[in-house]
Amino acid sequence: MIEMLKLGLVLMLVALIAAVALSLVNSRTAPLIEIQQELEKQNAMSEAAASLMPDDSLAFDSLSIDNLENPYASCDELLQVVKVFLPPDTSRIGYVFIAYGKGYSSTIQTMVATRMDGRVSGTIILNQQETPGLGANIVKPSRLIDHLIGMNGQECLLKKDGGTIDAMTGCTITSRTVVNSVRQGLEDMNEAGLFSDEIAVDEEHTEGGSE
Amino acid sequence: MNASAIMSMLLAAPSSGNQGFDLGRMMAIIIAAIFVNNFVLSRFLGICPFIGVSKQLDSAIGMGAAVIFVMTLATLGSWSVYNLLLVPMNLGYLKTIVFILIIASLVQLVEMILQKFSPSLYRALGIFLPLITTNCAILGVAVLNIDEKYSLGYSLVNAIAAGIGFTLALILMAGLRQRLELADVPPALRGKPMAFLIAGVMSIAFLGFAGLGG
Amino acid sequence: MSLMKDLTNGIYKENPVFKLALGMCPFLAVTTSVENALGMGAAATFVLIASNFLVSLFRNLIPSKVRIPCYIVIIATFVTLVDMVMHAYLPALHKSLGIFIPLIVVNCIILGRAEGFANRHPVLNSVADGIGMGIGFTMAMVVLATFRELLGNGTWLNMDVLGSAFQNQPLLIAILAPGAFILLSFIMGFFKILETRKGGCQ
Repeated sequence: MIEMLKLGLVLMLVALIAAVALSLVNSRTAPLIEIQQELEKQNAMSEAAASLMPDDSLAFDSLSIDNLENPYASCDELLQVVKVFLPPDTSRIGYVFIAYGKGYSSTIQTMVATRMDGRVSGTIILNQQETPGLGANIVKPSRLIDHLIGMNGQECLLKKDGGTIDAMTGCTITSRTVVNSVRQGLEDMNEAGLFSDEIAVDEEHTEGGSE
Repeated sequence: MNASAIMSMLLAAPSSGNQGFDLGRMMAIIIAAIFVNNFVLSRFLGICPFIGVSKQLDSAIGMGAAVIFVMTLATLGSWSVYNLLLVPMNLGYLKTIVFILIIASLVQLVEMILQKFSPSLYRALGIFLPLITTNCAILGVAVLNIDEKYSLGYSLVNAIAAGIGFTLALILMAGLRQRLELADVPPALRGKPMAFLIAGVMSIAFLGFAGLGG
Repeated sequence: MSLMKDLTNGIYKENPVFKLALGMCPFLAVTTSVENALGMGAAATFVLIASNFLVSLFRNLIPSKVRIPCYIVIIATFVTLVDMVMHAYLPALHKSLGIFIPLIVVNCIILGRAEGFANRHPVLNSVADGIGMGIGFTMAMVVLATFRELLGNGTWLNMDVLGSAFQNQPLLIAILAPGAFILLSFIMGFFKILETRKGGCQ
């Protein structure tokens, strides 16, 4: 019995030391990690929004549920929309959102910038752990995500699904995930009435033409 | 916290708040775990027992049963501890240590209980149990369930399906290797190299499941 | 002298992967690119050295009945440490290796060396063994990753090697799961031939 107690004590001591050591390191590294992730997100947001208007002074503002009546915006895993504006003018020039989709072997996060008319202006793959050399090529813009630019919710479809986008060779699943998750986001935003067609369209088109 | 609150917490998906129970999603998880993302042939988890215990069909079946059993219990334990204890206490970073300790003590416990109450089952599974502690498929499924933010129900389904997938690969392999005893294998490839070659061919076959079940 | 022997032991004579067949899971999983192989090798080597050091240091204090759980705790602690430190200070590397780091815990090389070597050898020898085994593991991974990346993607360490014509139609199978099994089988067979040749000469 005493023997058992001693063994248990030793094990507990070892576990305790380990836990204390880890919590010490964690208290140092956790804030750093948080800052880094926030910075990464900010950078990606600016990069995506630069496709709307190449201006360093673009500002972002998370759309809160109150002024939006959008059932989707409340769930951050599904859709988190950020409006983009150019201070001091606070009228929105577009949106940035992150599309989440389950790919072949990971959840793929795509940062998407859209114009006010609901057309995609820029895309960046934020996170993916697809098969290297295959699905992981999704991070190369020319392979797939560049083709999404200029499309709206309805047009965002693979050729195999009746649309016009070519899937990447050998990785239909990855391609479909990205395309479908972006379409889902666009459609949800459209349903929530975030896009305005009329006047804004013309402005944005001239903007796009001058780039 | 009263019992009903705990129950509702267990049944709902943790944190991400995505949908409740959904048969289609469950089928997708099952098919993915058994075929599409087979633990051994596609995720490379549990390779050591896969190569080590696949020489005889009987022992392969025994090992498979033991893995399914421990995997389910380990998922139950690790999911509960993580979501009911570690997350509320903000200790998520301790999960690797906690999970591996849960698995190690669980294996020990199962061994002792079986030995006491069901000697026949113990004789059948006993020798495989110690090997399971070092089977990375068990830790793999525990970590995977947390990463995917599955609810307890989905986690258990995923664990059982992953165990079945492991068993399937193991039994197929054992059957092939038994036949191979009679075949004329080039001397350089005899033993482990041949086992890996077969695993590669099986893995090609399993690639064909890609895309099933969404 | 014996230190040198312990150091070189893991590199060829008892190469953990090709000879002892330990640590297969991470070995097969991360060898899709040379970069991943090097990163995984560095992380695993660090954990191997640190755990060998501690296990050897406390080898007379830890009661033998609970030694395995103690070793597991030590290993898991170092793995979590590596994970956190890498995430905070080397975020780019962490992003490409992230999913593989927790897998180091169940890398049987580390537990195997703690149990098989460090718990009955002095500290210096154990550290030497850790370094040797780590290098042996890394080298084995780089060998397989070289084949897989070259054939499956036409590159080596992200450098263009086989040209764009090959890259448009690479041997995809090499980078997929079956390629790992099949190429490993051939490499092991090759080592076996080398060994029988050597045996024949003596």
